[in-house]
Amino acid sequence: MNLDYTIRYTAKNTYQNETNGALWQFLIIPENNESQELISDDFSNSLNTPVENSVNGYDFRTYRIRPKQSFEEIEFTADFKIIKKVENIFEKVSQEFSEREFEDLKSLEFKAGNDVFLRNTDLTTLHQEVDFKFDKTLSLFENLQNLNSWIKEEFTFKTNVTDIDTDLNHILEIKQGVCQDFTHLFIAIAKQFGIPSRYVSGYLHQGNGYFGDSQMHAWVECCLPDSGWIGFDPTNNLIAAENHIKVAHGKDYTDCPPLKGVVYSSGKNETEYTVQVSSQKQQQQ
Amino acid sequence: MKRKDNNPTFESYNRDPKLYDEIFDEHENVRETYKTLFELYSEHSAQDFGRLNNKAKASFFNQGITFQVYGDHEIKEKIFPFDLFPRIIDSEEWEHIEKGVLQRSKALNAFLHDLYHDKNIIKEGIVPLDLISSSENYLDQMNGFDPPGGIYNHISGTDLIKHSDGKYYVLEDNIRCPSGVSYVICNRTALKRALFGVFNHYQAHTVTDYAQNLLEILETVKPKGVDVPNCVVITPGIYNSAYYEHSYLAKAMGVELVEGRDLFVENDFVYMKTINGPEKVDVIYRRIDDQFLDPLEFKPDSAIGVPGLMAAYKQGNVCLVNAPGTGVADDKAIYTYMPEIIKYYLDEEPILNNVSTYHCSRPDELKYVLDNVHNLVIKPVDEAGGYGISIGNRLTQEEIEEVKATIIASPRKYIAQPIMSLSVHPTYIEDKECFEPRHVDLRTFTLLGENKEFVLKGGLTRVALQKGNLIVNSSQGGGSKDTWVLKNNQ
Amino acid sequence: MLARVANNLFWMGRYIERAEHVARYLNVNYFASLDAPNEQSQSRQFVLQSMLYMADDFSRNENELKEEEVLYDIALNPEKDFSVINYVKLARENANSARDLISTELYESLNKFYHFVLNYPVENFKKSGLYDFTVQVNENTSVLRGKIRGTLLHDEVYAIIMLGINIERATQVIRIINSKYKDAVFAQGSYGDTLKNSYEWTTLLKCAESYDMMRRFYRQTPTSITTLEFLILNTDCPRSVMNSLNEVCKHIMVLSHEKHPSKHSSAFLIGKVRAKYQFKIIEEIESDLQAFIENILEDLNNIGLKLEKDYFHY
Repeated sequence: MNLDYTIRYTAKNTYQNETNGALWQFLIIPENNESQELISDDFSNSLNTPVENSVNGYDFRTYRIRPKQSFEEIEFTADFKIIKKVENIFEKVSQEFSEREFEDLKSLEFKAGNDVFLRNTDLTTLHQEVDFKFDKTLSLFENLQNLNSWIKEEFTFKTNVTDIDTDLNHILEIKQGVCQDFTHLFIAIAKQFGIPSRYVSGYLHQGNGYFGDSQMHAWVECCLPDSGWIGFDPTNNLIAAENHIKVAHGKDYTDCPPLKGVVYSSGKNETEYTVQVSSQKQQQQ
Repeated sequence: MKRKDNNPTFESYNRDPKLYDEIFDEHENVRETYKTLFELYSEHSAQDFGRLNNKAKASFFNQGITFQVYGDHEIKEKIFPFDLFPRIIDSEEWEHIEKGVLQRSKALNAFLHDLYHDKNIIKEGIVPLDLISSSENYLDQMNGFDPPGGIYNHISGTDLIKHSDGKYYVLEDNIRCPSGVSYVICNRTALKRALFGVFNHYQAHTVTDYAQNLLEILETVKPKGVDVPNCVVITPGIYNSAYYEHSYLAKAMGVELVEGRDLFVENDFVYMKTINGPEKVDVIYRRIDDQFLDPLEFKPDSAIGVPGLMAAYKQGNVCLVNAPGTGVADDKAIYTYMPEIIKYYLDEEPILNNVSTYHCSRPDELKYVLDNVHNLVIKPVDEAGGYGISIGNRLTQEEIEEVKATIIASPRKYIAQPIMSLSVHPTYIEDKECFEPRHVDLRTFTLLGENKEFVLKGGLTRVALQKGNLIVNSSQGGGSKDTWVLKNNQ
Repeated sequence: MLARVANNLFWMGRYIERAEHVARYLNVNYFASLDAPNEQSQSRQFVLQSMLYMADDFSRNENELKEEEVLYDIALNPEKDFSVINYVKLARENANSARDLISTELYESLNKFYHFVLNYPVENFKKSGLYDFTVQVNENTSVLRGKIRGTLLHDEVYAIIMLGINIERATQVIRIINSKYKDAVFAQGSYGDTLKNSYEWTTLLKCAESYDMMRRFYRQTPTSITTLEFLILNTDCPRSVMNSLNEVCKHIMVLSHEKHPSKHSSAFLIGKVRAKYQFKIIEEIESDLQAFIENILEDLNNIGLKLEKDYFHY
């Protein structure tokens, strides 16, 4: 069975002083992969500046626009249609405990192959002990599921208490945060154990009351020797599946913010954006 | 011929028997290659040299061949001191160097390709994974990407010294944005102006063909589908200490010298803003560090880069020279693996010697280093320009303790090498109006392109102007000499 | 050619020219005043006010001026935007940015000039260096003019530098006329001197290095009419406004690729401005000189802005 999704992303940037030229890069296009197919994408802006299609450093598709006129305000709207496969992740992963999988994790071949996602970054480095411990009698997958629940239980979803630069020390202290923070924490703990982990930016279908407000969502992908990359959503204690529509991944948030810009202006500026995800079951043909 | 014969300017030249002297052998005789030159120089008085020295200085200053020194209050312009006594390398010796540096550049290119693809050398345990994964110069953006022509380090600067055993050793490989080549050419011009007569007695290779060869190299790595590529040099701007070199190279190649603000990216193609509108750019010889190239991919506040440049590069529409991410391979810790790297990729024995190195990251070697600081040179692995280097036998006991503490705090950051005694060469000392021995090294310049390679026959001989100083970097007050590579049959 | 570099070349030309005129203004006025025929023109305050007025964007200072200070400020004070030293610095800075396009000879001369000004002993200047300094500045700018003409290919690079030089020359000559006209008005009346026959007209011509040429052309003592006619309308006088406009017209055609410039182009605007002044008569100009000055300064400024928009935009 498949799900049809339509996604609308809108953003509005306002500037205190008129700007003279700008360049924005949007990393908001759903990825085409095994479990999701992008049917259509459309992007427009209130200044009618032509849209360029490009890629970011990890080869994910981006939109780029460069208005040449001066302005104080600009609005962007993107519409996507995708088809998401509904599949049972548990059938794909190896849930059996095997000592060999733990050993494989330590093999040079595996470590070198996944080196990028084992590296420490400022946002995914732990400077203190955490209460979560890996259990070497359980499978890696089960351990990660436990980590997922641990974060969900120990931490409270709360907006406006952290921002994109908040480090893990602070999050561990206040035990609150949003999806980015929980994702960074998950990555840090998993990487410390030697599991290659990456930050995923995307859309969450909230039909079932999941946390993540009407913005872009973040979750984790971990690479296990026997199962490959699997998504974990610590904010909702879920395995990323048909409700998670992936846009891009990177080492941490700084590799995949939805919007990056170079703006030639002085004074304050503000960005507001919202995301709407709606779905319907695909009609049987 | 003995050194003091008929030559008053060499009266106070005291040869240190522990060091290799480039022009006098252990019996104080002038070496064969230098005989004619030495005779010719004997005809000049100390006053002559004083006058010539002033003339050469004025010539550099008026031409604006200067670099900027950032003092407490203002920026001062200084000339890169130039020495009147050229260094001569005979053809046989040069052949050895040329083969050696070319071998290293090729091995480094293969190494970079591997690091950004399958990482076989790591998987086979030859180079430790740690060195790569802890390197800030590894760029994820380059992972799996094939640069045009398969070339990463188009331009390599290899620093060599001659030890007291008379053999050349490589001190470091520079494959980010090696600089100094313009000084090679200026030194030649200045020496010709000052002492043109001496050139009649030697057949030295020209050095002015560098720019033409560089342009040809740039043209070999043009993007697909481009017929005659439009090449440019990009500079951080006129306040950069190497701006003279950037402008020299652009002028000598006959290409535009651009700054980041002159370029823009549209639909993944790069254009420069000319008086007649946008003009497409195909190959960029960039003299901007990786982290400043593109504010969308690297430092977001970089004002000297071009937003979107990396995407254009990765889409294959423009070529960057050198490739971004080469810094991972010229790390001083990687240097120590060069013999293995050469064997692994080229299946050859290294032609040039490596200085043996101790890694502070390895516990047993760390212990040796801590016990022997006074006999070692301690270097940070990722500093350029001679900064942060401690020379053990010059330190007080207190300083040694400080150095130890710094190493213990972050062992991965330091390597140690035996104190190499750089060879010495007669150098004109202004205050004393005579020649004295000073330490020298040699930077060579190697170019790699698709099916084309070139080693500049000559190089930058850098001189430590302070007596006994071993650090020859220009930002640390070093000078330089014209360097002659002789043609065959001399 | 890069738009930014074109801008650098344009301003290099302008700053060289500006340094020259300011330095000469100092020299001529100072030394003319020493033995000027009337008391007013001889007054220290009068001449210092005139210098500051010309150099510092037509501002008048009500306070008593100190000679040493004024001369230092205009010649060598790096803190003052209007000082000769600053113009030379800016000229060289612009040349640095275009270094790969200009000849080694030109760069070397400009660089030498820069170091000369930068290292000019300030104490020496204050005591007795005014004559030496200003003359050397003028010598150096002549050398630069020669290098520009003789060591550069007469292509776009040359055309852009010459556009800068000529627009600046016209502007500076008009500014000098403005200052000296004011001086003449102030000085009139003392000892029955009339505005028409003021001593200041001779000084004005010397400020534009045109006194000898003018004498040769008119064979009589300069009057307001003949002086203005010569400096504004005489196409053969290399310092006249008309001559500069003709040069500007000639050089813009190297950049413009249109045989008949379209109505929104720089070449069209320049042609139009030239045509406006080509057939002016001097009596008309003299009847309201102030309005004329404001008008032509605005026209020249507009040409600069138009060039910037069409060619130097980056």
